Amino acid sequence: METSVERVSDSVAVIGLDGELDASNYQGLIDTGQGLYGEGVRTLVLDLTGLEYMASSGIVALHSLALVYRGEAPHDPDSGWGAFHAVQADVERGNRQEQLRLVAPNPAIDTVLDRTGMKQILPIFPDRSAALAG
Amino acid sequence: MRTTAVIVDTAGVMSETLHVKSSLEVLAEVRAHIRLVARRLGADEPAVRGLVQAVDEWVTNVTVHGYRGAPGPVDIDVLRDGSDVRVRICDAAPVFDPATSPAFDPAVPLERRPFGGMGIALIRHLCTTFDHRALPAGGNEVIITRPALTA
Repeated sequence: METSVERVSDSVAVIGLDGELDASNYQGLIDTGQGLYGEGVRTLVLDLTGLEYMASSGIVALHSLALVYRGEAPHDPDSGWGAFHAVQADVERGNRQEQLRLVAPNPAIDTVLDRTGMKQILPIFPDRSAALAG
Repeated sequence: MRTTAVIVDTAGVMSETLHVKSSLEVLAEVRAHIRLVARRLGADEPAVRGLVQAVDEWVTNVTVHGYRGAPGPVDIDVLRDGSDVRVRICDAAPVFDPATSPAFDPAVPLERRPFGGMGIALIRHLCTTFDHRALPAGGNEVIITRPALTA
């Protein structure tokens, strides 16, 4: 998987993903997003336009980044569904995870996001400019 | 290391077998193989995508939890079985029956879902059959089936 980072402003960045996100590379995505947070980024857009495949490991990466952008440490990936608890508590309080935004998942990835509950948590936009406009 | 074989049995049924040593780096190759063979066997694109995801999730599970990152044999057979495409995956890892993994229920709030089982839940969603048996000599066999043509 190839990633490209666009720094839109001091507090906003876009990571473009191309290829396949799986168990071999999901940790790298977490590290990249976490590094940007450390540099002051507080809104992260993940552009999935070029992403062809996402394994459940990719869901762990999305969730970990959701936590990082709330100012929390990412969960242990082995915690599985347990990793979603804190974010879901926000969802039930009506707090969507606006700090992390997704762009243009393909139908297969959309199914994975849907089946794992991530569509309830993360906003999805049709293109990069819409995501940046929020 | 990988090897492949095409086998045609006495009934003329063709299957293609991929032998790999488990590692996270081999997952892309496994997906490419399933994609290629499923298309060759007449699967439509939704079926191809579903089979690719299901096999990837299982082989990841075997690699990470079964072999715990050590290289171990994984054999993957793909064949056309009537209107279905069938994938048989064998390993020599400790026995793990996915039926013991928590069932997925989207109606259950996330905070009350049990730990683990995300990949297993996806396989159940994507395939019409997902059968496991412990091999007599040790290891696991799972058979994943999905119609070649999506309704």
